[in-house]
Amino acid sequence: MNGGRLNKAGHARRSANGLVNIVREIGEMTAALWWRFFDWLAQVEWRKLMIVWLLVLIFGLTPFGYPEQTGAFVMLSFGLKVLAGGKRKAEIEARDATSHADKEGLERRLVEARMAALQAQVEPHFLFNTLALIGQLIETDPPQAARIHQNLIDYLRATLPQMRARGAGTLGRQIEMSRAYLAIMQARMRSRLAVSIDVPAEMQTATFPVMTLQILIENAIKHGLEPKVDGGRIDIRASVDGQQLQVDVLDDGIGFNVHAGDGVGLTNVRERLRILYGARAQLVIEAPLTGGTRASIRVPYAPDIFAKRAP
Amino acid sequence: MKHHATALLADDEEAMRQQLRSRLRDAWPELDIVAEAANGIEAVALAGQYRPDIVFLDIRMPGLSGIEAARMLFNRCHLVFVTAYDQYAIEAFEQGALDYLMKPVGGERLKTTCARLQQLVGRQPTDIEQQLNQLLARHGAGSKAAPDYLRWIQALVGANLRMISTREVLFFQADEKYTRVQTGQAEVLIRKPLKELADELDPDEFWRIHRSTLVRVDAIEEVTRDLRGRHMLKVRNHPQLLEISRGHTHRFQQM
Repeated sequence: MNGGRLNKAGHARRSANGLVNIVREIGEMTAALWWRFFDWLAQVEWRKLMIVWLLVLIFGLTPFGYPEQTGAFVMLSFGLKVLAGGKRKAEIEARDATSHADKEGLERRLVEARMAALQAQVEPHFLFNTLALIGQLIETDPPQAARIHQNLIDYLRATLPQMRARGAGTLGRQIEMSRAYLAIMQARMRSRLAVSIDVPAEMQTATFPVMTLQILIENAIKHGLEPKVDGGRIDIRASVDGQQLQVDVLDDGIGFNVHAGDGVGLTNVRERLRILYGARAQLVIEAPLTGGTRASIRVPYAPDIFAKRAP
Repeated sequence: MKHHATALLADDEEAMRQQLRSRLRDAWPELDIVAEAANGIEAVALAGQYRPDIVFLDIRMPGLSGIEAARMLFNRCHLVFVTAYDQYAIEAFEQGALDYLMKPVGGERLKTTCARLQQLVGRQPTDIEQQLNQLLARHGAGSKAAPDYLRWIQALVGANLRMISTREVLFFQADEKYTRVQTGQAEVLIRKPLKELADELDPDEFWRIHRSTLVRVDAIEEVTRDLRGRHMLKVRNHPQLLEISRGHTHRFQQM
């Protein structure tokens, strides 16, 4: 029948196709092997190549070998290595470097996007309580209300990302914004919160990553001092040890709960330090024997020589 | 003879107690505010001492939260919660018909609350134990997910007790009597045996890959086989290859 004839013709065409495919595959494989050999040749050290030549020559001189082909192989590989090897090697290295750079760039952008989502955690609870306080002070103590109001504006200006200057700020700026926050918390907690800030003048102009100090201070208050019935004190200190600037936030609060998650804040600080400084910066958290918590940020010390002109 | 209703105010912020006191004076001049408490423990103690008809409770207070204090007081007095912002609690109050005020307190809302309280004074408080228990359970679950797992490793570094977040740890490895804690930046030894750690850590955060190794799942970069056919695991930012023992390779079979 018709179908049978068609089948036969189809079968013949398929086997012809199969043959072409096999030939093409062999061709592709040969080409791939050739390039692989070429890449190897380009990248192999001369010393190793010479050892290979020696082995090949020894084999060529045995009764099983083909001395002419062996000689030709040695000459050919020598010529290729000299003429094209350097260029090819550079190409391969450039390609590796590009793909590595692409990957790093992508990772960096990814982390930046994630950080943008994480930062600027103005807590609604903090905001509403502060507004309630201002409302009360307007009736009882208008000058104090005005001060707290100004502090809140300073705090929000520094915290909301769309209002914040890009890049790293100076330690002095970070301390200023934290002062605004601490003044609000002192107005709310009254005698339950004592604050001391000890940052030598020469360190005020040093570069310091934005918001990281603030996150440590908010943590100390929220997890250390607010839950403590008698409250306590928070100490902020800066010191320079060789090339490292260290900023400590100490509190004598209720201390660390080893089962509590480390929260968005600390993860955010750690990530930001990693991106800005790699292994040259560190966040260290310690539980002093006297109780409370000590959180320290260490970054490379870089006094900003332009800080005076553009504060 | 009619006695004036009595009330206790509990808030850790003095200015907020002041505010509540002055607004209550306007809305309900006859109400006698007998005491003020600055934390949850004080609130419970003063309520026992003064036996007020009504207790106004801020939610976030040190010592005991307003809700925890309420659990100890609900059958002795009428309770009104006060909050500036606690979304979880406000939703629950509305569902559970618990009385609450928003800071800054005042206006119609406070008048309505006072009118209702005037009706209630002298009667047995409604039993709200169930609502409070639900609220506590939900708050506990919402604020800290899986609170029982170890999230911080304590290690003695020099003379200081350092807290290392488990998020920083790449892997733990048993090292004779100690356990080696490897982070991206440092290596410290702790006394806690690996077996104990394995029981306390979140099993979704750290996988056991060998009798002596726990590895952070997020940090795994790749698994390869070496010349002897062993599965070797590489973590990010660290050169050491970790062996996966035969019994633990099933986690890394191809999907």
